[in-house]
Formats: sequence, C-alpha cells, structure tokens
Amino acid sequence: MSAGVTAGPAIIEARDLSVVRGGKTLVHVDRFALAQGEIHVLLGPNGAGKTTLMRALNGLEKADGELLFEGRPVRSGGDRLRLRRSTSAVFQQAYLLATTVRGNVESGLRIRGVRGDELRRRSDEALDMLGIAHLAERRRSGLSGGEAQRVSIARALAVDPAAVFLDEPMASLDPPTRRQLLADLEAIFRRLSTAVLWVTHDTEEALAVARRVTFLADGVVVQEGATADVFNNPAAQVVADYLGLDVWLEGTVRVDEAGAVRLLLLDGAELVCGEGEPGPAIACIHPDDVMVFLARPEAAGTSLRNVFEASVRGFRPAGRSRLVSMDWGSHRIDALLTRAACEELDLRPGQTVYAAVKASAIQLLPKGRAAEPEQARTS
Amino acid sequence: MHFILQGFWESLRLLFGGDSSTYEIALRSLYVSAAALGVSLVIGVPLGSAIALTTFPGRRFIVAVINTGMGVPPVVVGLIVALFLWRTGPLGGLHLMYTVQAMIIAQVFIALPIVAGLSLAALQQLDPGFRLQIMALGAGRWRSFWLLIREIRVPLMAAVMAAFGGVISEVGAVLMVGGNIIGQTEVLTTGIVTNVSMGLFASAVALAVVLMILSFTTNYAMTLIQQAGLKQKS
Repeated sequence: MSAGVTAGPAIIEARDLSVVRGGKTLVHVDRFALAQGEIHVLLGPNGAGKTTLMRALNGLEKADGELLFEGRPVRSGGDRLRLRRSTSAVFQQAYLLATTVRGNVESGLRIRGVRGDELRRRSDEALDMLGIAHLAERRRSGLSGGEAQRVSIARALAVDPAAVFLDEPMASLDPPTRRQLLADLEAIFRRLSTAVLWVTHDTEEALAVARRVTFLADGVVVQEGATADVFNNPAAQVVADYLGLDVWLEGTVRVDEAGAVRLLLLDGAELVCGEGEPGPAIACIHPDDVMVFLARPEAAGTSLRNVFEASVRGFRPAGRSRLVSMDWGSHRIDALLTRAACEELDLRPGQTVYAAVKASAIQLLPKGRAAEPEQARTS
Repeated sequence: MHFILQGFWESLRLLFGGDSSTYEIALRSLYVSAAALGVSLVIGVPLGSAIALTTFPGRRFIVAVINTGMGVPPVVVGLIVALFLWRTGPLGGLHLMYTVQAMIIAQVFIALPIVAGLSLAALQQLDPGFRLQIMALGAGRWRSFWLLIREIRVPLMAAVMAAFGGVISEVGAVLMVGGNIIGQTEVLTTGIVTNVSMGLFASAVALAVVLMILSFTTNYAMTLIQQAGLKQKS
C-alpha cells in the first residue's frame, strides 16, 4: 500500500463530523484532513454528500462533531465567520456581484479591510494570474461562462486564502473551456502554497489535479488516499464501479530523438506510448485493449507492443466477459476476456502470463503536478 | 365645454403665475409621501429581508399578512389609524389627529407592505447560491445584507416607485386623518376632491396637473437611478 502521507500540517481537520438535517444524517466522516499545500479532491457520485461536506468544512453550514481550523476548534457562528474570512470558495456558478470584474475581484479584499494601493495591487495580481486583466472594467453581463468563472476564481485567490474550496468549478463549462481552465488552474495551484479542496464527480478532472482523493458515497468516506492508490486499488465495489474498468499508471513522459514516446513509471518500469508531450502524465489502459498470452509473444510482424510478464491475481465477472487482474511488478494490469478465451487459456491465480498492449492503445493525460517520490507504491 | 377650457387656463395661471398656495400644497404632498416612503424603506427592507432569509414558525402566515397589506384599501387604513388617533382612542393623548404626522403614519401603513412584500419577493427570487457565495467571501451579517440589497436594486427600485405611486395618489386615508385643513393638512389629492365638490373645477384641474407633473418627475428620476449601470440590450 501507499506510504504517501499528507504534505504538511492539517489546515482543516474534522473528527466525527456530521451534518444532520430534518433528522436525516446527510454526511458523516470519522476523520478528514486537508493539509497545507495539497490538492485534495472529494470524489463521488451525485448526491453522495460532497457539497454538504464541503460546506461543513468551510463554515457555510453548521455541523455536529469536531472541526479544527489551523488547530483551533470551530464551534460558534463567530468561529465559522473567521474560518470563512481565512478561506474562500468557488461554486459551479460564478455568482458575480452587480459590479465590474475588478469590483468583484476586490470584494473579498474589501470585506477583509484591504484598501488603497494594496487593494489595487492585489486585485491586479489576481486578475493577471487568471489572465483576465483585459476584462477588469467589464460588467458581469458581458462575460462568457468561462470568463465569469475565471473572475470568481480570481476573487477567491485575491484574498490569499489558507484554503480554497472549489465546488464543481468546471461543471457548467463546455469541454474546450474546461480543458483550458483546468490546465491554467493546475499551473496556478502548483505555484501557490494554498490548500485546495476540490469537489467533483468527474474522474478525469480528479486525476488531472488531485494529489489525494477522498471517495464519498451515501454520505460516508469509502476510501481516502493518494490519487494513484485510490484509482488503482479501489477499496470497495462502489469505488471500483464508479472509477470504471480502466487502469491508471502515473509517471513521466520522455520523448527520445527518434520521436518514440515512453512513460517512465514511478518504480522505474516503462510503457511505450503512441503520442504524448514530455512531462508528468497518467496513462490510461482500458482492459479491452489488453491481450493475455501464456508464452511471450513474438514482437515481429506486429505493431509496437508493451509486453509485461505478470502473475494472475484473480477474476471477476464484468457483463458477459470476465475481468482478469494481474500483478505486474508493483502495478496492476486488467484484461477483459471473453468466457471462451478464459476457458481456452485455463488461467489460475498465481500463474505467470504475458499481458500485451499496443502503444497506440495507451492514452496519456498530462498531469501538471508530479507525484512526490514518497507516493511511489512499495507493496 | 367652456369650464374645461377655463379650468385649463386657470391651472396654467396658478402654476406659472407663482400662486404660493398651489406650491405649498404640492410641497406638502411631496413631504408627506416622501416621509412615509422613507419610514417604510427603513422598516420594510430589513423586515422583508429578514423574512426572506430566515425560517421560523408562522413565516408563511406573516408573508400572507404582508401580501394582503399590499392590497388593503387606503380608506380602511385611514379608518383604523383614525380610530387609534381619535381624541378618545388608544393613542388620542398624542393629539396627532388632523396633523401632517397623522397623514404620514397612515401612508406608512399603505407603503410599508408594498416595500416589505416586494423586497421579500425579490430576495426569494435570487439564487440561494448567491447568499452562500457572499457568506463564503467572508461577509458578516450586515455586509451580506447590503450586498444582497445591491443585487435586488432593480426590483427594489420598482418597489419604491410602486409604493410612492401608491401614497402620492392616495386620497382616502389622508383625507380621513388629515381633514384637508386649508394651509395645514391640504394636499394635492384632497385639494382636488374638495375643489370639485365645491364646483371649483379650475383649481381642481390645476392641482391635478401639478400632481401628474410631480408623479412623472419623481418616477423618471427613480427610473434613471434604477436603470443606471444596466447594459442596454441592442
């Protein structure tokens, strides 16, 4: 399992925290911590209680149990106001105030008593950071959805918060706008030391930004851990079903002089990929694309392949097919085989097999913030 | 037809000939209505906001009372206020009957439900997420209130105009508690009524013209404030 631990001291910590409304417990967590400098994704299906938990953690909702902000308990309404003044939040909608873009970016600062030159300087910084300085004097009615959300994020970052809470910040944006903003936010958060709690139901969004993931279902934490761990070792069926059948491998892309693209995994293993840009990335391998052989297949005459010597870990039914799980070093590789193929191969747990994947079948997702070495899996 | 034309000319003479009593009546009308509107805003906006933004038992009943209040006939309001302020009434000791203050009190009860009811409705129309966003910005109770009021600026100005229109044109209540005492409590609407009843059509027309000009000018000014900063749809 992972040796990955949280990056720093906890900014926000919850113990035995629950939100009860009308006699119904909407969410309950035994323990949750948001550490300094980490991007922590709250992942889970709609209705899992992600938003409710976020609002309890940033002082927007009253909750039962223990909540600590920078080590101090948050109990009264005044405590919650102080918590909100030290943090900021971005929602699915931009919720811009009826003023200019600059007025919006300044609003959080004004509430905190910032005036004069400093107000101007800090709002300028935030506008530049989000690339919206040219919109400063525009009013909210003239902005596109993506621009409005950038203003909302600039407003949240201008106050130099101890933690930023993002509640489905991309959910209202179209895919190209979302991709661009995601890349920009990645770069921004890499530079800032602020802790980020990012609520999303989108697994790709989580993979792209998260350093740690907390998976929530039916109001409880089902799994919490380093991103790669959660994605590759789902602790419960509900997590596995939600994340899908794909296997995710994290590493760094290298492109050699000949143009060959390789993903160097954290434990030193290598994947040959079709195309990709140099830098940190996550490889996605769909079990449909994985072939299983009893003897090492000949590479000659076929397209460039990755061939892994692996041992069979187990099987489980997946629709009309069967999912074969294999251990390849410290990684997991899954293959989806028909029942007939399974019988033909006569696979048994512990047996040595060869899993093969075409380079072109490996999809690379760029990941801005590289995983720390301590996150390498050592099992 | 003769007396209509005569009335019209007479009104022009009263208006532009510098008739001091006409101006005095117009100013008193404006004063009474503006004062009533001011009091209604100071009480009505926080009241409507408090009801819109909180939950408590009996909330719907209060909302129904306010909504009913928006439609109560001014004469009924006047009657109730008169009963309270009457010499032998519960508040008779204040000696407010047949004073400008009594007229303002009566008009507050007409304007207040309009201001409270319309600001309540405007705030309820606002996306609840807006309030959360304002709280998340670190705003305390009062700052949240002001930021929310700024968001409902347009419908709130509509409420102000509706309330002002309601009280400046109202005659039943002010007549009942003011008594239309010449030089003391006579306002434009009560002046029109009594002038007509005495057959003084010219004076009535003059006051009516003044009332219309006053009403239009104030509404035009408020409209300018309301629409300021709103982007023109092209």
